[in-house]
Amino acid sequence: MRIKIIRVIIILGLLCLAADLVYTQGIRGSFYYHQSVNNRIRVIPLDGIRGRILDRNGVVLADNRLSFNVAMIPQDIKENDQVFHYLSQVLNVKKSKLFQQYSQKKHAPFAPVVVAEDVDKKVAMILEENKFRFPGLYVQEHSRRYYPMGSIGAHLIGQVGKINRTKMEKLKDYGYTPLSIVGYSGIEEYYDHYLKGKEGGLQIEVNSRGQQVRLLSMRDAESGEDVHLTIDARIQQIAQEALGNRKGAIVILDFDSGEILGMVSSPTYDPNIFVDHRLQGQISFAYSSPDAPLLNRAIQGQYPPGSVFKIILTVAALANKRISRHTTFNCPGYYTLGKRQFRCAHVHNAQNLIEAIAHSCNVYFFNTGLLIGPDQMYKYARLLGLGEVTHVDLPAEERGFLPSRRLRRIRNPTGWYKGDTLNYSIGQGEVLATPLQVARMTATVGRSGKEVQPFLIKKIGEQDIVQFSTVRLVNLAPEIFTIVQEGLKGAVKDPHGTARLLDMPGFKIFGKTGTAQSVPGKDEHAWFAGYSLEGKKRVSFCVFLEYGGSSYNAVVLTRELFQRLRIEDIL
Amino acid sequence: MRRDMGVVILIFTFAVIAIGLVALYSASYHNVRVSHKIFYDQVIFSVVGLFLLLYLSNLDYRKFYDLAYFFYGGSVILLILVLVSGRHALGAQRWFSIAGISFQPSEVAKLTLIFGLGRYFSDRRSSLSARPRSSLGVLWHDLFVPLLMTLVPMLLVFKQPDLGTSLLFFGIFIFMLFTSGLRYRYILGFLLLCLMMMPFGWHIIKPYQKDRLLVFLNPNIDPLGAGYTIIQSKIAVGSGRLWGKGWLSGTQNQLNFLPERHTDFIFSVIGEEWGLLGTLALVTCYGVVIYAGLKVAEHVKDRFGMQIAVGMTGIFSLQVLINIGMVLGMCPVVGITLPLVSYGRTSFLVSLFMIGILLNLSKRHTVF
Repeated sequence: MRIKIIRVIIILGLLCLAADLVYTQGIRGSFYYHQSVNNRIRVIPLDGIRGRILDRNGVVLADNRLSFNVAMIPQDIKENDQVFHYLSQVLNVKKSKLFQQYSQKKHAPFAPVVVAEDVDKKVAMILEENKFRFPGLYVQEHSRRYYPMGSIGAHLIGQVGKINRTKMEKLKDYGYTPLSIVGYSGIEEYYDHYLKGKEGGLQIEVNSRGQQVRLLSMRDAESGEDVHLTIDARIQQIAQEALGNRKGAIVILDFDSGEILGMVSSPTYDPNIFVDHRLQGQISFAYSSPDAPLLNRAIQGQYPPGSVFKIILTVAALANKRISRHTTFNCPGYYTLGKRQFRCAHVHNAQNLIEAIAHSCNVYFFNTGLLIGPDQMYKYARLLGLGEVTHVDLPAEERGFLPSRRLRRIRNPTGWYKGDTLNYSIGQGEVLATPLQVARMTATVGRSGKEVQPFLIKKIGEQDIVQFSTVRLVNLAPEIFTIVQEGLKGAVKDPHGTARLLDMPGFKIFGKTGTAQSVPGKDEHAWFAGYSLEGKKRVSFCVFLEYGGSSYNAVVLTRELFQRLRIEDIL
Repeated sequence: MRRDMGVVILIFTFAVIAIGLVALYSASYHNVRVSHKIFYDQVIFSVVGLFLLLYLSNLDYRKFYDLAYFFYGGSVILLILVLVSGRHALGAQRWFSIAGISFQPSEVAKLTLIFGLGRYFSDRRSSLSARPRSSLGVLWHDLFVPLLMTLVPMLLVFKQPDLGTSLLFFGIFIFMLFTSGLRYRYILGFLLLCLMMMPFGWHIIKPYQKDRLLVFLNPNIDPLGAGYTIIQSKIAVGSGRLWGKGWLSGTQNQLNFLPERHTDFIFSVIGEEWGLLGTLALVTCYGVVIYAGLKVAEHVKDRFGMQIAVGMTGIFSLQVLINIGMVLGMCPVVGITLPLVSYGRTSFLVSLFMIGILLNLSKRHTVF
């Protein structure tokens, strides 16, 4: 009897086992099957090498170099303490800091944890030699961005960094992973899609220790494509050196095609600080400096154009037939409006249009401005490309600002006064423009109304990039531009011209100076914009100095620049 | 009837051994961690065991009655010796080496305890019918003395430390106590008392044993430490699905994800490579052997034979239930082998010994 009870109990026990077996293997079988597959299959990502950035002559502006990371595989590390002690000695880093990094990043027993990035080649070799002493510790090799030009033209090239959350959200559908390296400004950001390599991977079967048993499949990583720019590295260097420590920007466009040959901004920064951990300390300075070194002043800096705006005013007045080449105004050195006096730089006396441009006479343009009014100024400024982005292939371009009576009515109930018109006439007050806009505007005038599209891209990989609609026609009578051109020539050739310093043998430079009042108590912004028609290449340019004082400084800088370019046999 | 049972036991024992050898071959196939030598080892011991089986089935089992206390005493001495001078392995002192062959006294002690208790209970029975006793006397003689007999080897094994085997000793005691004829109320009372004592047990077990118990409740608290084995073995068994991944093709097994897969966790190898088909077949074989064993116990005429048959079948079933249960995560991981399948010479021979005794018992009709 009692044996029967025992039998029933045992049989019931066996039935429980059988039921659980049916559940585990029959019903939940697929779940465990996938787990067993995940157990043994690992995917090891392979980085695609990022494409390089080159200038028009093949000089490398952004390159890759071999770098060494120290990584640890958690499950293979035997004596934690010893390994960290050893590492702290070799790397000269505190043990606790290493351990903290390690425990923060550790997420799976087989996944390597990088404890030190981009170590010296020497250190990497020491570690490799002592590899056998510390299983699980090894040196990873991979490519890392490197900017051979350093701070020269840094704004244009941009830099790369680890992808952040905002970018990840935007780009996750385009093959970016949380480990991707992406461009953060300049060309690196704008052409990131082409530069970025395709990440590949190895699918391997591993045993319980994570050691590879065999290769299951492999997808090669693809390198990104090289991006060739229209930039000339030599021009970049000369322009950057010419600017030196002064704040400002220089833009040089190909007069005929709109290719950007040079674009520098100052103060500049070394993009290597974003990719080389040894220079990381300088990042915070770059961000916090009151001089805003990260700002690309050529496209993001918006400044009152000052007298350079007189070019636009002239075009507007001629197009409206309010003045002609021979219209003359008298300049007593000031202009009185109500109780206020608007000053001119000199007493110019009677001047015709050409002389007025050459001497940059304010009074002449006050009179002209009052003749045509702000609406026409706004219209023609827009026509010549101000107040709107140029659509150059760089991220975060600014559009500047053009005041108008309409906007003033919306924003400010006080309305538009004649004084505003006077300020508008000489590019003061609310008018803002970027150096690139100004450079393009002078090119348009020099090309008699054929506006070019500024661009940087020349070739992606082996594919030449053909620009469509590089020319927009500003439909105005060519005679208008001829008159303005004459004035711009006068500024250089006239013995009293504002830019007579540039009257050098072998050069044929047209241009307009500009001295724009900035905030009270600070020096004025200095402009010189124009174009040069003599030499190897016809270029249009804009030289801008933020708080640079008189426009004379900009003219001197332009002279230096062109002389250097001629000596180097570039122009 | 009983003779038929003997044939059934023999056939299904061979089936279990065959399944075990196939699994062991795979578990040690082309592997650095588990040497292939153990497979041939097990083959040799299967052959040796076969002769043992033949010898035992023709022996007069009453001899074990005469020698029961002698064996019992001898095994207790061995257990003391192994604690003093045994070989350390896997953090425990369980092995003994005699003439180059190591063996585990705790496995042998299972057998001797069954003999000892069997003799004691059968002796008590005959005196019990002679004159009525006070209940205190019954408790003393029928419960506490055999309990003491069990506790001695049990505590010695627990000290090794080997929680699993020591619990098996207790299992033997319960089974044999149950069939000794003691009144239900005493047995139930005793079991209740044990249940109430269990919380105190928490303080005497080792930290790693505590870990195992906690991990049993939730394997994911330490997936790479104490919980690793149970998680991996469940994955192995489950991933076999209905038909298995095929012999020598279990990835969990061949790629070393399963620790202790040739001993305590051999069942997961079978589950992975042979699927539900294989596991149910094995469980059925065990079920048949156990059923037949208990049938034999029912038909044995003398009390000693009945008691040892129950003890042996009982411990056999307990090992099967606990071992498979722990592979499936139904009970905590305690070191208990799967009888006749796990690699382990002593355990294997002791299991075969018990089968041999059952075969022997199936032949006896009468007592002289």
